[in-house]
Order: sequence, then C-alpha cells, then structure tokens
Amino acid sequence: MKARFRNAYVLDVVSDDHPGIVAAVTTAVEALGGNIDACSQTVLGGYFTLIMIVSTPDPVAPEDLAEQVRGAGTSHSPFQVLARVALPPENLAPSEKCDRFVITAFGEDQPGIVRRFSQYLAGRDINIVDLYGDRHGDEFVLIGQLEVPTHWDIRMLQTDLEHMGEELGFAVKLQHENIFVATNQLRLTYST
Amino acid sequence: MLRTDEILSTIEMLHAEHLDVRAVTLALNIDDCAAPSIDHVCRKLKNKILSRASRLVETCDRVGAKYGIPVVNKRLAISPVSTILAGHGHAAAVQVARALDAAASECGVDFVGGFTALVHKGISPADAVVMNSLPEVLSQTRQVCASVNVASRKAGINMDAIHQMGHILLRIAQATADQRGFGCAKLVIFANIPEDNPFMAGAYMGAGEPETTINIGVSGPGVVCSALKRRLAREKNLTLGDLAEEIKITSFRVTRVGELIGREVAAELKVAFGIVDLSLAPTPTVGDSVGEILRTLGIARIGAPGSTAAVAMLNDAVKKGGLFASSSVGGLSGAFIPVSEDSALAEAVRDGHLVLEKLEAMTAVCSVGLDMVAIPGDTPAETIAAIIADEMAIGVINDKTTAVRLIPVPGAKAGDHVDFGGLFGSSPILEIRNAGASEAFVHFGGRIPAPLQSLGN
Repeated sequence: MKARFRNAYVLDVVSDDHPGIVAAVTTAVEALGGNIDACSQTVLGGYFTLIMIVSTPDPVAPEDLAEQVRGAGTSHSPFQVLARVALPPENLAPSEKCDRFVITAFGEDQPGIVRRFSQYLAGRDINIVDLYGDRHGDEFVLIGQLEVPTHWDIRMLQTDLEHMGEELGFAVKLQHENIFVATNQLRLTYST
Repeated sequence: MLRTDEILSTIEMLHAEHLDVRAVTLALNIDDCAAPSIDHVCRKLKNKILSRASRLVETCDRVGAKYGIPVVNKRLAISPVSTILAGHGHAAAVQVARALDAAASECGVDFVGGFTALVHKGISPADAVVMNSLPEVLSQTRQVCASVNVASRKAGINMDAIHQMGHILLRIAQATADQRGFGCAKLVIFANIPEDNPFMAGAYMGAGEPETTINIGVSGPGVVCSALKRRLAREKNLTLGDLAEEIKITSFRVTRVGELIGREVAAELKVAFGIVDLSLAPTPTVGDSVGEILRTLGIARIGAPGSTAAVAMLNDAVKKGGLFASSSVGGLSGAFIPVSEDSALAEAVRDGHLVLEKLEAMTAVCSVGLDMVAIPGDTPAETIAAIIADEMAIGVINDKTTAVRLIPVPGAKAGDHVDFGGLFGSSPILEIRNAGASEAFVHFGGRIPAPLQSLGN
C-alpha cells in the first residue's frame, strides 16, 4: 500500500452497526480533501469497526481529522474515533524473515484462552495478523493467522501449542497457510 | 488473507474426517545396477537406494507436519527388476529381492515395488526368472511387492503368461500358507499397467520416466462420504447430478493436498515431481470405505442392481475433480474396491449381497479390478487364470488399467473368514462358481489378439 498523498493517517472508527456508516465516514474524509488508501471493516456482535489509512495533500492535525469524522455520527449512534499519523510502511515491516501459519483451537470456552495462546506467540516474536474468535454453544473457536519467524522449528511450536491445548482441553493445530490456499482457492499457493 | 470459512472447512476435512496423504512413493530407475556378478548387483542396488531414499521418510514427516497432514506410507518403486536380472538365474532373483528388502528396511519405507515382469506380448528369459521366483521372493521378504503385466491394448492378452500366473499364485499361497496365503497380497497382475502408480502392491517405475521421481497417492473415501452426508442432511430433493458435483468438489480439494505435499517433498529431495494419483483407496477402518459411499448414494446392499452405475458415477466425478486440481494427475486415479480392505464391501460379501461376478462388473467402470479377493485355496489354477483373463479383457477392450490381486487361501472354503491384519483387512472367502469349467479355454494358450482399439494410429 502506497499513500496517494504525502500526509498519511490511521483512522479507527467504532459504532453500533447500521447502514450508512462507511458513507458518512468517507464523506467526512473527502471534505478534508483526503484519499482512502486502504480500509478494512468488520461487524462483531452487532458492533461496527473500521480501520483506514487516509492521506491528505496538506497536513491535518490528527485530532481535527478525528473530530471531522465524529461529526458525521448522530446523537443516537455516535462514532468513537481515533486518528494518528501513519508511519511509512517500510518502518513497520517486520525485521525478520517470516512464514505464514494458521493456528486453530477448538474447545470448551473458559476465560484466558486467547491470553494463553497470544502470550505464547508474543514470547516468540510471532505476529498475529488476523484473529477470529467465537463461541458456538459452549465451545470456543479461535483462529489466528500468524507471521512466524523462519528460524523457529515448527514441530517444536506445534508440540508446545498442542500441549498447552491439552492442558486447557483444546484441540490446537498450527499449519502452514498454503494448505488452506490449496484446498480452497484456484491457485495452489500464494507464491505461485 | 484467508477467510474464516475456508479455514474451518479445511480443518473439518483434515482433522474431523482424517484426511491423510496415503502414499509418497519415490520411483527410482535401477537399470544402471546391472552387473555380471549378482553380489555386485546387490551392492549397487543397495548403494543407489540408500543414496536416493535415505531422507525420504524424514522429509515426508517434516513436510506433512508443516501442513498438519500425516503422510501414512512412504514407499519405493523401482524400474522392472527383470532388467537387472537378465543373464542371471533363480537364486540371483531371490538374492536381489533380499537386498531390496534390506535396503527398504534401512530407509524406513514400508514397501518397495517393482519386482516386475512385463510380459503382455511375450516372456523373456529374465521375465521367466522373475515370475518363477515369486513364491520364494514373496515368502522370504517382507517389503518387496511384485507385479506382472500380462495384457495391453496394443498387444492383446498373453494367455500363456496368465496360465502360468494361475499356477504361480497357488505356489505363492502354499509358500505363505502359515500367513493364510498372504504372499499373494503383495502381487498384482495387470492389464495396461500404469508407469507412475504410487499405490502398492502394483507400484513400479515405467520406461520413459526420469531417473528419480516422486509420485503421490491421496485417498479420502471418508472425506467424500462425509461431504455427501453433510449435503444430504442440508438439502432436500438432491439429484445424482448434485451428488456427483459434491464428489467432484471434494476430490478437487483432496487432490490439492497431494499436489502441495508432493511438490514440496520433491523439491526438498531435489528430484522431479511426477504425478498425483487421486484414488479413493479404502482401509479397514470404519468410515474409510468406498462401500460406505455407495450406501450413502442409496445402494442399501452393495452388490444390488445400481451398484455398477453408482461406482461409475463416483469414479468419473473423482477423476473430474482431480483433473481440475492438478496438471499432473496420473497413476490409477479412481475408486478402488479392494474387498478385504473395505469393511463395507467385506460385510456385503459376508451377507451374500456381493458376489464375484457383480464385483467384476463394478471393476469395469472403476479402478482397479478384483483387488484383495480371497478365494478357496483349492481353486484350480486354470480357473484362477480364467478369472484373470476376464479381468484383463475388461481392461484391454475398455482401454483402461485393470488388475487382479487374488488370494487363494490354503485350506479355506467359500464362506470361511480370513484376517490378513492391519491395512490388508479381513474378508470372507468368495465363492467361485463353475470352478474347473474354463480349463479347455485356458489350455489353448497363445495370445488373444489386440482389439480393434489398438489400431488407433
């Protein structure tokens, strides 16, 4: 992702979900002459969240940008907005060579599941780039897409995570992402 | 970024339905192991196998772990052993088989295929050595598997070879009588033998293949069956066309697993990637059954009218899904119906629903043939030869691979039960009707000429 204009900002919007939020937010950004360089949105439990990289031709104070977007909300559906200056992408790139893996965990829900697994991953500089968790009845499903530094022995990580899963009553798997690409998409791997 | 539903559906297929890679087979050309002294042949053979295959098991395990998919069997397939036995005799054949067995064991693989003779048009002296050594070879080795190609579309059916194989099968059964004739389970008699088949016992490396190649066998009858059951539970008024589509989609996904693992194993071993063989190869484990798929498709008793049509649809849909998933589909690629290895088929035989003749009809529309069929130990050699000839005719006329893996169980009568253990399963002994009534036909010998289909050029 390369910003269209030189002044780039990260914009984060949370609201209860209803039609028209994206239209309202983007209208507010456009009023500042801003361009939307990237965006990702999801709805979870009836709540809407949106993260955007926005760039403008002229510098804008992040709080002014946030206020502009807040103004697009309504009294019965206010927007919670955060804005900050975005660092150039090269400053955010991981310093280590990584490979992409997916962790999946299934088991009876209890407090601390996400914490236990994420602490383990954090302790090994494994970055979570996408996370999904949901209760189905009494069962909790956790899926994380991970950037794993290539120096790690995958079988050691798998063994550790499976043992942790056993302690928690969870079935845990750590698998390279290409198995999910190969079995679901027309291409065999992301790299071909 | 992957979607959550994609991840969940793959997890279901891999872990809840136990999809695995059934076989990674390293195929190896051994022609350069020929030498005047048989001791020298064995040394060269051992050195070559160890130099090429010693990392196979470890590599398969590591790549399988990376993707969370077990590679169940790691195997070797060599170019036909008859080539290096030319000019040698019976004792040499047995010595080479022992050397192969030892090398396979040292590499940690479970089987080595390629103790093979290709005799569809005639039997060379070296082929005769291979064929006649089979009773000793298959009784004195654990991991060596053999195959004999007795027919082809271009050559017709070599009835002399088939007649000999009828007698040889009985000798193998006698030589392994303490294992209920199990030696016969390590021998496949083919028409149109595939040159890149990764599945045992019929794997060998054919002519025109590279020096070394990796061939992959994926399976997954349990996955296909579960996909059908899910679809049937979810939707009403489905037609057979809808169910064929479901099989096709599942086959696509299963084939992709093999392609991914195979390419990576081949790259790590720095050898050519050969083919993915998408065959629904059942195991005796409940839920890993082609017969269960037929039941799900509405055939309440396997062997009932409709069974052949159901197998034909299944086989075709499997091929179509596999073909789109990989540019390297090869081997047998279809549905196997090995009786003792498929609990539902063995049950159908036990209950009298499935008889040899219906099984033979089903093999006309699927791969591979009369597979793992236990028959009475006193079946005459000529009758065994005639059963082989019938199956070969299906292959030659339909321009497809067919095969026979019959086990005449010494001392056993129709209806008795035999258990071969492990993946080879158990089965009732099938009744052979009209035994002895084909003797004159077989005794004519010679070669049934190649059919009209051979004149395709």
